[in-house]
Amino acid sequence: MKDIFTIVFRLTVSCLLAGLVMGATFVFTNKAKLHNAEVREQKVMLGLLGYSGAKTAPASLKLHPVYRYLVSGGGVSSLGYLVPTSGAGEAGYVFVNLGLDGNFLGKEDVRLEAHKAAEANEREAAIVVALGSGKECRYVDQTIVATDNGQRLAYLLPGEFPGFKTFINVILSVDPAFAVTGLEIMEHEEDPGLGGEIVQAYFKNQFRGKTYEALKKLGVVKEPLPDEYRRVLENDRNGGSIGAEEVAQVEASYSGKDIYALTGATISSKAVTNGVKSIVNKFAYRIGILDRVLKEQQIVVPF
Amino acid sequence: MATDKSSLQLITNGILNENPIFRLVLSMCPAVGISTTVMNGLMLGVAVLFVQVFSSLTIAIFKNVIHPRIRIPTYTLTIATWVTVIDMVLAAYMPEAYAKMGIFIKLIVAFAIITMRLEMFACKETVSASFFDGIGMGLGFMAGMMAIGFVRELLGMGTLLGYDLLGFKPLLFFVLPLAGFFCVGLMMGFFNYIEARYKSAKRASA
Repeated sequence: MKDIFTIVFRLTVSCLLAGLVMGATFVFTNKAKLHNAEVREQKVMLGLLGYSGAKTAPASLKLHPVYRYLVSGGGVSSLGYLVPTSGAGEAGYVFVNLGLDGNFLGKEDVRLEAHKAAEANEREAAIVVALGSGKECRYVDQTIVATDNGQRLAYLLPGEFPGFKTFINVILSVDPAFAVTGLEIMEHEEDPGLGGEIVQAYFKNQFRGKTYEALKKLGVVKEPLPDEYRRVLENDRNGGSIGAEEVAQVEASYSGKDIYALTGATISSKAVTNGVKSIVNKFAYRIGILDRVLKEQQIVVPF
Repeated sequence: MATDKSSLQLITNGILNENPIFRLVLSMCPAVGISTTVMNGLMLGVAVLFVQVFSSLTIAIFKNVIHPRIRIPTYTLTIATWVTVIDMVLAAYMPEAYAKMGIFIKLIVAFAIITMRLEMFACKETVSASFFDGIGMGLGFMAGMMAIGFVRELLGMGTLLGYDLLGFKPLLFFVLPLAGFFCVGLMMGFFNYIEARYKSAKRASA
């Protein structure tokens, strides 16, 4: 009997000590960790817009996040978009509620400061307050609209799709006509040396310059990558050795071609191609509906 | 029962005589699964070195208050704590290394070599001896991982530490998980062969 108490007591103390050590480390490191993730994401996004290395982004460039939510309550589901508003004396954000078929259901002002909107918990709490009781919302994804002097420059689409083993996490940038301008792989678990090569410039940059029309019937070919194309794909856009004219010329000649599959990783190559296609397709459909509703309801947005 | 080995002997013991991978044949999962490049081996080795040293120290310090009936749960708890700490520290201060190694770090909790060293060594020996034993085992593991990584990266991808050395991929098969088994087995045999030759040469000269 005495043994039970000693064992329970000592294990409890060990657990408490372990908890203290881990808790203290968490408190000290969490801020830096979140900051790292944010910095990386920002850097990738600016890189996709063409600002990397020595070329810094101008002050007129702004990134406006649009968050998509699934709203449920009373047995009915609907979609909601949290969009920033730019009108004077506004609450900061508007939550636009749309039916699953794209009909406008309602809009609510959401009181939220910009720095709080970046945090998922704060954002969700503010939306729930604006929606009123009996409704629940679940975060789905976000889109970042990049503007230069108020003109839409590009859309940045973080997305996820299945790869060879698990999900591949990417950020895709498309121009206002939905032509792909860049692809960056954020997280993946493909086989190193095979599917893992999707992160290499000579693969992911092949998506650059594929138009919306070309994307619809984009496939994968098992052919060796031509040398002149590879040179251009691996060329650094800001400070590379190949002139911009030559790059544009070569890219244009390949823009209608399919994606050249990676050696030994056809499945990964196809997964990325299909993933990119589906992200762009779905987005083009959604932004069309959202733009129409914003126009009809005369919601002023900064993009 | 204190060990009579000097600190240097404890360290070399971990690297050569009782190398975790090639002699004790422990922690085979990472040795097969993660050792595709030299860099992977190095980074995982460093992480294991830290976990091993900290866990050995902790157990050696508290060995008298650990109830012998519940020592295994206590070891597991200790290892899990240090792995979590290192995971969080890496994520915060070395984000680039963490982006590559993040999913492997958490696996260290289950590495047989660490529990085994706590059970066989740290719970019986002094704090300083356990510290040097931890360093030796950690370095031995790191050296083993890097050696396997060297062979697999060079043969599988034709590169070393990411630099393209050969310009082609001699045996693409070597980066696949299956090849890890062949690689570890062949290298183990190779080291045993060298040792046997060395011993017989010594005997002949004596």
